Parts: sequence; structure tokens; C-alpha cells
Amino acid sequence: MLNIVGKFDVVVVGAGPAGSSAAYTLSKNGFKVVVIERGRTAGSKNLYGGRVYSKPLEEIYPEFKREAPIERWVKRERFSMMVGGELLTLEYYSRNSTSFTAYLSRLAGWMAQKAEEAGAIIVTDVRVDDLYTEDGIVKGIVSGGDVLKADVVVDAEGVNRLILERHGLVPKLLPRQVALGVKETIRLDKQKIEDRFGLLPEEGLAWFIIGNVTGGLPGGAFLYTNTTTVSLGMVVFLEEACKKVQKHVFDILEDLRTSQPFSDILKDGVLVEYGAHLTPEAGLDMAPKKLYTDGLLVVGDAAGFLLNLGYTVRGVDFAAYSGYLAAKTIIKAHSEGNFKAENLSVYQKLLEESFIIRELRRHRKIAKLLRSSELFTTYPEIFVDVARKLFNIEYTSPTLLQSIRESIKGKTSLLSLIVKMLSLVRAL
Amino acid sequence: MGLNMIVAVKWVPNTQIVNIDPTTGTLIREGIPSIVNPHDLNAVELALRLKEKYGGTVTAISMAPPAARAGLEFIMGMGVDRAILITDKVFAGADTLATSYTLAKAIEKLKPYDLLIFGHETIDSSTAHIGAQVASWLKIPYIYYVIDTEYRDGYIFAKRRLEKKIEIYKLPIPCLIAVAMRSNEPRPIKLEYKLRVKLENPLEVWTNNELQLSRACIGLRGSPTRVEKAVPTPTIPRKKMKYEGQDVKEAVKWLVDKLLEEGLKII
Repeated sequence: MLNIVGKFDVVVVGAGPAGSSAAYTLSKNGFKVVVIERGRTAGSKNLYGGRVYSKPLEEIYPEFKREAPIERWVKRERFSMMVGGELLTLEYYSRNSTSFTAYLSRLAGWMAQKAEEAGAIIVTDVRVDDLYTEDGIVKGIVSGGDVLKADVVVDAEGVNRLILERHGLVPKLLPRQVALGVKETIRLDKQKIEDRFGLLPEEGLAWFIIGNVTGGLPGGAFLYTNTTTVSLGMVVFLEEACKKVQKHVFDILEDLRTSQPFSDILKDGVLVEYGAHLTPEAGLDMAPKKLYTDGLLVVGDAAGFLLNLGYTVRGVDFAAYSGYLAAKTIIKAHSEGNFKAENLSVYQKLLEESFIIRELRRHRKIAKLLRSSELFTTYPEIFVDVARKLFNIEYTSPTLLQSIRESIKGKTSLLSLIVKMLSLVRAL
Repeated sequence: MGLNMIVAVKWVPNTQIVNIDPTTGTLIREGIPSIVNPHDLNAVELALRLKEKYGGTVTAISMAPPAARAGLEFIMGMGVDRAILITDKVFAGADTLATSYTLAKAIEKLKPYDLLIFGHETIDSSTAHIGAQVASWLKIPYIYYVIDTEYRDGYIFAKRRLEKKIEIYKLPIPCLIAVAMRSNEPRPIKLEYKLRVKLENPLEVWTNNELQLSRACIGLRGSPTRVEKAVPTPTIPRKKMKYEGQDVKEAVKWLVDKLLEEGLKII
């Protein structure tokens, strides 16, 4: 066991949005921080759909809007139910925007750079194997037999939280707690993107699609526009996917890209990148029992801080803000002289007061509803069918009620449809 | 006594994710993250193993733009003693002749050395020239495709694997060996070393001020190689066909038929 050069106040495990935001905030307040990242560069192991909500980040980084690698501000929001090549779409357009598209590897790289400029040391290519403890108190980390000591450790290791598992702080990750995201990045002319999606320069689109887009697996598809690329991807709930999957998820995604209407929308596009990542889906139900112990704070995906509402996903802002709150906690605990659990418990309090836990609590019911297979197959079929009856007029057209009655025949009852819709509306 | 070793490493675009510009036929390097040439990691690993066995020092050198700093920091994270980045605008545009000349001149400044260890080629150009050319400039013996090495009685015993036999060559020091791809498992980066790199910034940077090489022999001017033409090969879209049956003979026939449909010729 080697003892390492230098002495640090804080070790942060992982240079994603959560880890870097913690490191940045701490460094700015004079703490000596080292961030240890397994990837080749900060952000190189991060992957997400494509959109970030801005406000929380502007609070953490004062120069955020001016400096961050923002691609397009999302001004067009679309939600579609798709069956075959038919789409029933709800669209919201506003000249104001609270979210933007970005490449997460670049955004996370920018955050790490801010942390570095503020004085944090970022060490890449190194895996953290374990926490280092003395008398049950976390006092640093272990990596390849080296021990790096610090007063407090911030665990920002991400959704695959092997360190927390090894330490018995969380049980093994279950398939029902996560979803698999797969995504392709397709290069397309800037002008073509703007023409085809009805966008002005620097305006962006966020598009969620449910229906038969995921090869019958519970989940949904998404599309985001960057400046000169489009991200097309899908998220499938892992537990159901494990049981039902017939072919590779990247093949299902390729089927989607090469079928109508996406084959037309993305015509002349060149596939430049693809990737996959697990995403936490169980929110508070997968959070560690305690988000802090003696000498340790858990932030970001590792804490389960991600909210999937079905029509949008929030992860990066939750992660970054939890890192920011962890930093505030450490600053406060430092002023009190130690980093025992009772001093770090203020982290829980800050989280509860913040939008993170309030949002996760408010939308707690949605996670369960989102995975009901009716939502992904039966209802899109019914609604698209109704729309077809209403809009494809040759000589006569039915009334709305008539077409609904006809479309639900053999699938569900009108009453159960209404009840289900109401419960969905209430959960949202 | 130990062995004083010098390992040359190249900073290359990650060709696994690189695209070819369809009009110019050249690699599109913009936005493509670079990596240390994977073959060179085998060279570094062999050097570190030899150091563990016989003592001595390992110095890594690279001629590259300033961004290659990250690559040498990676190598230092593996545990080399010293790293030198040779970087200067006047070295830009070099072919293998100008590159090997520059490297050889830098290596001369590192005398006395016993063993030079190179990766046998790079993934971005695959010429396998550099080791041989550097050895030629330095007038020392060299050997390629080395999988392992011993050091006895002042000689290097270089083992290389051919198709049906293993050859062992005895070379006097100083000499150069070019290491075969995947001949060993490069070690992971060590936290202690990488942290020291970050805290102490030990990377040395040499420009032509240090080397004082004639402009006629370096960079674009010192490079006689010209690429006549580059023709991109067409990308073949996935057909996504799958043989669903069980019978192996049927499957082979099905596959051959499909390939014949694609224009395969059986001679």
C-alpha cells in the first residue's frame, strides 16, 4: 500500500456533471480537490439523450450561458404517438426556452475545465477500486493498491455504482431500476435541419415518440437537433426488455431510422457516432438509504437523481446540482470542523429543500405508469386509429365519440381508457 | 548496471472512429480524439518489464503537436521515468524520413542508451518505417516483430514469433527492437504516477532550439514523400439479412448464393 504525494481535502470519484460541479464549487471556495476519472477525458464516458435544462446550471456556473458548449436552445417540443408510419403529434412552440441541446461529452468536458481552472486536479485514465476507511469512516479511496487520503469523498461514479455496492451502501442494481438508452448521432446539413424541423438558426427541437418505435419493448424514442447533427435514440426499460427482446436494440433503432418518416427526415444524413448507456429510472426508490455517511457523499446518477416524465428527461441538471449541494455541505461541515455523518446530514436537508427531491417526490408515481405496456402499444394504436378516422376523409366522417368507440373495440373499454388517462394526468 | 531504454511513441487519431473525406480521400481529423498509438503501448510495457527485471531507466519521446502532451502524460502514468515531447512548427508536415531523422537526432542527445524500443507500426499510417530508419541514422542494428527480450552478457536476445517457429536473435547493445502488436498486455495507469504528473509537471519539451537541425532535413521541406492520389473505398450498407434455418449445409449454400448475388466471383 502506497501513500501518495500531496494531500487533498476532497477526492471526487468521476468527472461527469455531478463530480465536476462539486469539484468546481469546492475549488472556488479554496478546497484542495482531486477528481479521479476512469475515462480518457472528463466526460468521455458520459452519454445521454441530448437535452439539458439550463437554470440550475446557471446558478452553479455564473458564466454558463456565455461559455458553455450549447448547440441549440429547445424552442420546439414535440410529443408523438406513432404506429407504422402514422403519427399523432402534439407540439409546443415558444420563443422562450429553458433548455438546450448539447453534446454531453463536451459539456462535461467544459465543466471539468472550469473545475481545473478553479484549481481542481483532474486525473484521467484511472479507476477507483474502493473507498479507503479507518474505523468505518471514509478517509479516501483505493486505486490499484494506492491509497489516496482525503477528509471527505464525493461519490459521482455514475449509474453503475460498483463502489457503493462493494461497500454495501446500496444493493446490487436491479434491471427494473434502470433503462437502456441507445442513440445514434447523424450528421446533417445545418440548413437541412432547420428546414426539415421548422427551426430558425440556433433553435432546437426535442421530440419524444411512443408507439411501435421500440420493437414492442416498453420505452420510447427521442430525437434532438444539434447544430449540424441529429440525435436519434430510444430508451427501453431493462427488466421488460430482458424478457421480450427479440433482436439487438441497435437493430431496433436502425429499423426506426430507416423507416418512415425518419428515413425521409434524415435523408442524406451520415451516421457518425453511436452509443449506449444505462440510465437510472427508479429515482428515490433506488437512492442509497443514506446519501451520506461518515466522510462520504453520493451525487448524480449514483444517487438515482434522474427524472423521466415520459415527455422529457432531466438528468444532467439534477446531477450537477446535487454535486453543487454536496460541495455546499462540505464547505459547511468544514467550518464546523469535521466530516462525520451528523455534519454531512445537511446534504439531505439541502436536497429536500431543492428541486431535486421535490421533483422526484412529486413525480414518484410516474415511473410505474410509464412501464405499463398499454401506454406503449394499446393507447398509441387507439389514438392513431381515431386520428385516422377523423382526418382521412373520403366522403363521410365519424364523430369523435364514434371513432373512439370503434377504435377501442376489442382492446379496452371506454371506461378503463378514461380511468387510465386520468391516472396518467394525475401522475404527471 | 541496468538498461537505459528509450521508447518512441506516436500520438495518432483514433482510426476506429475516424472518417474519410469522400472528396479528398484524407482522414477527417477534426474533432477526432487522439490516442497513443496502441502498438507503442506494447513497446512501453516491454520496456517497463525489462526495467523491472534488469534495472535501468525508461525515457519516452514523441514528436508531435503540443496536444500530444496528453499522450505522454498517459505513458508517464504507466510508469516511465522521463518523457520528452519534441514539438515545433518547423517539424510539421514530416514524412517518415524527416520524422526518423528528427527522432534520431533527439535520441543522440540522450546518449548513452542501450536499447531503443518502438512499436512496429502506427495505426494511422502503417508504414513500419520509423524504427528501421531511426536505427539506420544511428547506425545500430534493429529487428522487428519482437515479442519478448532478454538481456545477458551485454547482449539483447530478441525473441520473435514467425508463423511456425520462434526465432531468437542476439544483438549487441545499443540496438533497436520493434515490438509486435499485442505481444503483451499494457499495464493500467497508476494513480500515483498520474497524480505526480499533474502535480509536478515533469514533461520536458524540446523545440528545434534544443536540436538545431537544418530546415532542409526536417518538416515538410525535409520530406520527399508525396501522396499521388487517395481513393476512398465505398462503404457497404448493412443488408440485415439473417439465415433463420438450422441446417449448416443449407446455410453455407444460402450464404454463397447471397455473395454471388452481390457480385462475388468463384474462380
